[in-house]
Amino acid sequence: MTFEEIYKVYWPKVYRQCMGYMNDPDTAKDIAQDTFIKVWQHLPKFRNESSIGTWIFRISVNSCLRQIGKDNKMPKSELPNEIFEEILVNDEPKVEFLYRCISELPEVERIIISLELEELKQKEIAKIVGLSESNVRVRIHRIKEKLTKKFQQHGR
Amino acid sequence: MADNINFKQYWKKQIIETPTPEELIKKANKFKRKIRFRLIVANIVLLISCMGISFVWFYYQPEYLTTKIGIIVIIIAILIYLAFQVTLTSLLFKRNYEVNAKDQLLQLLKLKEKQRFQRTTLLNGYFFLLSLGLGLYMYEYAVRMTLTWAIVTYGIVLFMIALNAFYFRPKTIKKQQAQLNKLIAQLKDLKDQLNH
Repeated sequence: MTFEEIYKVYWPKVYRQCMGYMNDPDTAKDIAQDTFIKVWQHLPKFRNESSIGTWIFRISVNSCLRQIGKDNKMPKSELPNEIFEEILVNDEPKVEFLYRCISELPEVERIIISLELEELKQKEIAKIVGLSESNVRVRIHRIKEKLTKKFQQHGR
Repeated sequence: MADNINFKQYWKKQIIETPTPEELIKKANKFKRKIRFRLIVANIVLLISCMGISFVWFYYQPEYLTTKIGIIVIIIAILIYLAFQVTLTSLLFKRNYEVNAKDQLLQLLKLKEKQRFQRTTLLNGYFFLLSLGLGLYMYEYAVRMTLTWAIVTYGIVLFMIALNAFYFRPKTIKKQQAQLNKLIAQLKDLKDQLNH
């Protein structure tokens, strides 16, 4: 797979994962870019020990986690603004609500549920986060319960 | 009950902004250049001061041993600082991005704790050596001055050193410590999240 192909397939996935973590389009874009810069730099060294998806999500999850220390060190998106001038508002309130609920969870739960919703296998999620598979399963179940409760309370 | 709501269906509907890969690569290169430039500038400034001080030694041929010791002490201070800078940067760059989240957190925590320890100790040592070197270095020239001028010169230098030692240094250390402490606390919280 060339970088361009990888980029095309994985940008939306990584962007959504970052959105789940940050719930802020600008920051999500920045972290996703950061991730793909690393993918681009390290792709020649990538050995097929894990699937490319697992590898990329490991990088993006780590980029999200490193966000803590980087609040003011990270350059804000330096891409010209005019490309994204049109305001992108999600007209689907439930989508917005879901992302908001996820971003209110503790960091690790945000990561786990984002990867689950991205339809990664629980085995892969366990590898990315560094937990056991059974632990991941239990956590996913709990997080979904939390989200369901929030949705029900919200009256939707 | 938990599966009643199809979260995946909403999840996938998020609007995605996709910059072109060319823009991304351009940004990556620019960013890399910027970081490299900043590092090089910082190191060059310090190296130039080293060379300037050495130049004094060779050009003016100081007679007193104190001057020479002063020069050596200043250079040692700068070199230690530079060496630390280099190891820290290489640590930052060599960090493994592909480990799992738990290992990454542990790595990061270790690095930050090391940084916290070294920042204080190193910065203290740097200020101490620099002041000591400067004091020794000035002695030869102060001796040649009239007493009043010698007192004025030493007075100014001592004032600068005191300003550094009691105002700037604690301030810098305090600021960095506060930042690092906050960061370490956050990292520990994340680690706890993974342990339960």
